[in-house]
Amino acid sequence: MSTLAPQRSQPLKYDPSVERAVESVSSRLTGDYRLTRRSVALLLLQDDPEIRELVQETEGPNFALVNDAVHTSSQGFAEPLDSVISLQRRDAVRAITESAVRHSEHSRVRFNERLSRLCTSPITGLPILALVLWFGLYQFVGIFGGGTLVGLLENDLFGGIINPWVTKVVQALLPWPWLSDLFVGEYGMWTLGVTYAIALIFPIVGTFFLAFSILEDSGYFPRLAMLIDRLFKTIGLNGKAVIPIVLGFGCDTMATIVTRILETRRERIIATFLLSLAIPCSAQIGIMVALLAGHPAAFWTWAGIMAGIFLVIGYLTSKLLPGEPARFAMELPPLRWPSLTNIAAKTYARMQWYLMEVFPLFVLASVVIWIGRLTGLFGIVIEALKPVANILGFHGPLATGMSEVFLFGFFRRDYGAAGLDKMHGEHALTGNHTLVAVVTLTIFLPCVAQFLMMKKERGMKMALAMAGFIFPFAIFVGWALNLTLTTLNIKL
Amino acid sequence: MPRVPFFEIVRGARRTGTDSVEALDGDPVRGRLMVVGNPNVGKSVLFSKLTGKYVVVSNYPGTTVEISRSRACFGGIPYEVIDTPGMYSLRPLSDEERVGRALLLREHADIVLHVVDAKNLERMLGFTTQLIEAGLPVILAINMMDEAEKVGLTIDSERLGRELGIPVVETVATTGLGLDRLKEILNEYAGAAAVSAA
Repeated sequence: MSTLAPQRSQPLKYDPSVERAVESVSSRLTGDYRLTRRSVALLLLQDDPEIRELVQETEGPNFALVNDAVHTSSQGFAEPLDSVISLQRRDAVRAITESAVRHSEHSRVRFNERLSRLCTSPITGLPILALVLWFGLYQFVGIFGGGTLVGLLENDLFGGIINPWVTKVVQALLPWPWLSDLFVGEYGMWTLGVTYAIALIFPIVGTFFLAFSILEDSGYFPRLAMLIDRLFKTIGLNGKAVIPIVLGFGCDTMATIVTRILETRRERIIATFLLSLAIPCSAQIGIMVALLAGHPAAFWTWAGIMAGIFLVIGYLTSKLLPGEPARFAMELPPLRWPSLTNIAAKTYARMQWYLMEVFPLFVLASVVIWIGRLTGLFGIVIEALKPVANILGFHGPLATGMSEVFLFGFFRRDYGAAGLDKMHGEHALTGNHTLVAVVTLTIFLPCVAQFLMMKKERGMKMALAMAGFIFPFAIFVGWALNLTLTTLNIKL
Repeated sequence: MPRVPFFEIVRGARRTGTDSVEALDGDPVRGRLMVVGNPNVGKSVLFSKLTGKYVVVSNYPGTTVEISRSRACFGGIPYEVIDTPGMYSLRPLSDEERVGRALLLREHADIVLHVVDAKNLERMLGFTTQLIEAGLPVILAINMMDEAEKVGLTIDSERLGRELGIPVVETVATTGLGLDRLKEILNEYAGAAAVSAA
């Protein structure tokens, strides 16, 4: 089977006029390239700026000759050579494909095709999206994950059995309250850090990752991208920007890296900004939805406000930033039944990733708060944040609780939201309070890691500018929302 | 604290237990295989299957934005295997594509494995012809054959191989179908490349 030698491959032949142009350019190339001279000549004729640079570097003084040949050859064509070459290649490839591929109609295709069209056309697509949000997010993650599972783990297992026992043991071993507080106090490593991570975050994030992986594997997301493509165009992004935005619902930090697939700097800035402002990541989305579970009206108001902010701010940003929107044709992968093993592997890997990231932070936060309380710094910061809580309509003991939530939220939105859950348990928050707090927190930067990534991808100036807008804006929206609710006397 | 990214979760090379492909930790590599192709055609799955390095795979174009490198052994020769971000053609339009092409321009590849989606051959073979034009040692993997069959496509890969003058192999990366044949070809190719180099 030595017939597999690479030398047998046959490069395409273009029509004589193109071949003459290629020959005239390639014969003037003298340098050594990893690609054949024929290929380099073709890319030069197609006006590829990077190859031009490479050739200029490699050829040195000889580049003038090469450049002349490129110019002279291109002049003989009515159309840009890039499209002439592309068209001829397409024809050649079509001929090859037709010789080797045969089609036959299949009923399954038509069903798949119809389902795909239902997901992407606005009239049916938007109701489908609402169903996905309602069942996938609100019912499964919010009610089942955040309600049933958290109830079992947090109240029954940790609150009822494990924590009282751990507290008793630790207090017996460390009979000094100031020290035992570090482990089992109100903000202790075990009673707050470990309990949050395992009893609260774990079931919520787990159910969210499961739902996310199923949707991702089924091929629904690209169809969602098609559906909202038109919406995106009005805010200066093309359909491709849906990719980082949708991935942002998984993790904003990673999605910020994915903005690299966008073609212009302008689009990358808009996408990064919208990610940090209006897209809650998996860690938060789950717990926010869990907090709102039981107040369906508050859930939809929250979803509506976030969508509104996304569109309005996106629109304004695209107006402020000069430049043409880029064009892009989205590829649609097929709709398929999600594979069970793939979903299990992904959910598992992401849970592992999340716990590894969040666990040390939660424990560290307990230590920081413990030190802060010993030194009295914690109380000072909380006092300083109280006026902000007052603005949002939180008074008395609620103001203290909300200030804690803000302080936690600066570091991670989900940690803040977990604090909100604690408050919920202690003070029985009203629907209004919950909504205002959740909306404000959702607008916060997702986490410190997100800020670092923004700095890495967009530069320090841009990252600071974005953060400088986001925090005051979050408070402003919370204030406006509370004012609206109180003025109109709405009770959710 | 090890940072594990969200979409490119890599657990590190581990032994796969198959005889022809093994992760080789530490040994110097003597060849390089680059996996290239459009977004969402299964490059990352094939990469995982060839190297035993796990990469989180999505049914979404453009999720590989960074380059994964791992090792495998072909024809008894230790190879470095590189998973590249999606590329539509040799003429890049986005940063992501530029990353992939820069690799082809800067690093020597002993084998280039072009992975294509069997359902969209016509749109993807243009890139194959460009790779051939560039004189790169190309192997074509027609992936997602199962989905192509479901939509009623039959592909004469032997004929295609003759037309293009390169080895063509049909695969279903997710189930491992055609992988043995692919490894066979890779082993032979790696051997031939070593002989011609010597």
